[in-house]
Amino acid sequence: MTTTATGLLPEPFRALEPWVTDWALATREERYQKRLSKTIDELQAFYDAIAPLAEDAIAYLDTRDVHALSDQDTRLLHLLYSMIMTSYPVNIFKQPRIPDSGAAYFDTAVEPAL
Amino acid sequence: MAIQERLATGRGKYTPGYPDLDTGPVSYEDSISEEFFQAEREAIFKRTWLKVGRVEQLPRNGTFFTRELVGLGSIVITRHTDGQVYALHNICAHRGNKVVWQEHPTNETQGTARQFACKYHGWRYGLDGKCSYVTKRDEFFESLPDDQLAMPQLRCEVFAGFIFVNFSTDAPPLREFLGEKLTAELESWPFEKFTNHWSFRTKVKGNWKIGIDALLEWYHPAYVHGRFLNTNVAEAEKLVPPMDSYHYDLFTPHMLTSVPGPPVLKKKTGSVGPAARDMNWAYRLFRAGLFGPDDIRTDLGHLTDDRNPGGIRAWSNDQYWLFPNLSIQLWGRGYYITYQYIPETVGTHAYEVDIYFPEPRTASERLAQELVVDSTIEFAMQDTNTVEATWSQLNNRALQTFHLSDMELMIRQFHKVVRDAVAAHQAGSEK
Repeated sequence: MTTTATGLLPEPFRALEPWVTDWALATREERYQKRLSKTIDELQAFYDAIAPLAEDAIAYLDTRDVHALSDQDTRLLHLLYSMIMTSYPVNIFKQPRIPDSGAAYFDTAVEPAL
Repeated sequence: MAIQERLATGRGKYTPGYPDLDTGPVSYEDSISEEFFQAEREAIFKRTWLKVGRVEQLPRNGTFFTRELVGLGSIVITRHTDGQVYALHNICAHRGNKVVWQEHPTNETQGTARQFACKYHGWRYGLDGKCSYVTKRDEFFESLPDDQLAMPQLRCEVFAGFIFVNFSTDAPPLREFLGEKLTAELESWPFEKFTNHWSFRTKVKGNWKIGIDALLEWYHPAYVHGRFLNTNVAEAEKLVPPMDSYHYDLFTPHMLTSVPGPPVLKKKTGSVGPAARDMNWAYRLFRAGLFGPDDIRTDLGHLTDDRNPGGIRAWSNDQYWLFPNLSIQLWGRGYYITYQYIPETVGTHAYEVDIYFPEPRTASERLAQELVVDSTIEFAMQDTNTVEATWSQLNNRALQTFHLSDMELMIRQFHKVVRDAVAAHQAGSEK
């Protein structure tokens, strides 16, 4: 939450810029690692910040060509991926890890470029 | 009306309809015995068609990937300049070195090559395995059979874009092994349109069959996954479809179960409403959930008459089990998943989950895919841990007989098919 730069996100979503450093992550592996590195309070803070803007963000991105997104738009999409990554912990598990998942861990061997 | 009442058919129990299946207690010795594990490898894994990948992994002539199959061997799958797919034993004809590997000889690799060069003494091979060049040939003797030198081919056939290999030379052809039902029902799915691919891999401390058992019944969801449904178990139970709402078809050695699921959300019109710490709100926002996206694409041609062959109500997906270790799940909302369990030792297996969507046309389609993938993996991690907890206890043999309900008929069948295959092989009478 040390980001102070501007222009990282499309203008209507600049309020989310403080979250870019932590959560605008390109790979699922990075997002899952980030989730495990946070407390449930921290996950809730991110979720609560992005959730009210999410519907507008999806509508905005749907006006763009998803296969030719700008860097700003890509960061916004990545933040929405991270919202999904945090949604089960926040809404159901009440903890970062999946309950009763012990040491279980899936390596992501392949995922889409976008 | 609650799902339990809405989907109930009153058809009665399934297991008695299969005269080869009894209803008594079962033993899991087949999943903990080292001796049985070795017999199973000989009888099944060394002579049955095994999926090793998909054609999308070989997009052009000259592409290849390797598979490290513990106990079976390291193999290289290639697309040669003739456009054909080959499977090669990954061994140099000179002194047996592993030919294709990068950095670490036990890691799988992939890439593009005009030919393979052995790292030991530089012998070169075409992607069909034939040796094309022996370094310092003059130093060898007349006994060197130039025309026969090769990384040996093993049998390799492609079905519906899935690449299968067989370590045996006398097994029946792949399509014959799969049979008419599987070939017809699987080939009508347009796999080639599902190229947005996620692959997840893990190692599980448990016998491969115990891993498969966890996906063969619909008894566990309210308990293992209950909190996804409702924190109150009694409420969670009410959200799982009744046992008589599924379709089963045990066409030995393969199997099918068709699974009901929830209806899709109504077409989006207005706002989803104020943000909430509520997974149902998140499902509505992204218009997706464990059973798939809520906006079903109509441009894929995947919903043919072959889907839902048992005609169940509220059909969601068909889960085909290809003997011995592959499940292909065709989901009505427009994606497919494969689950594969590759034994390494009697008590460990590699577990691979691959999820395939069409290329998304919009950000919202892509986000719906993300939520489906995330949900699938959250569930799979819970299943995996249960498998480890189960196998460790089976292995202690404190109890030696166990009990399967009618809901678990596919487990009963699966273990029987494995045991029968081992017995047939040992009797030298395999068909």
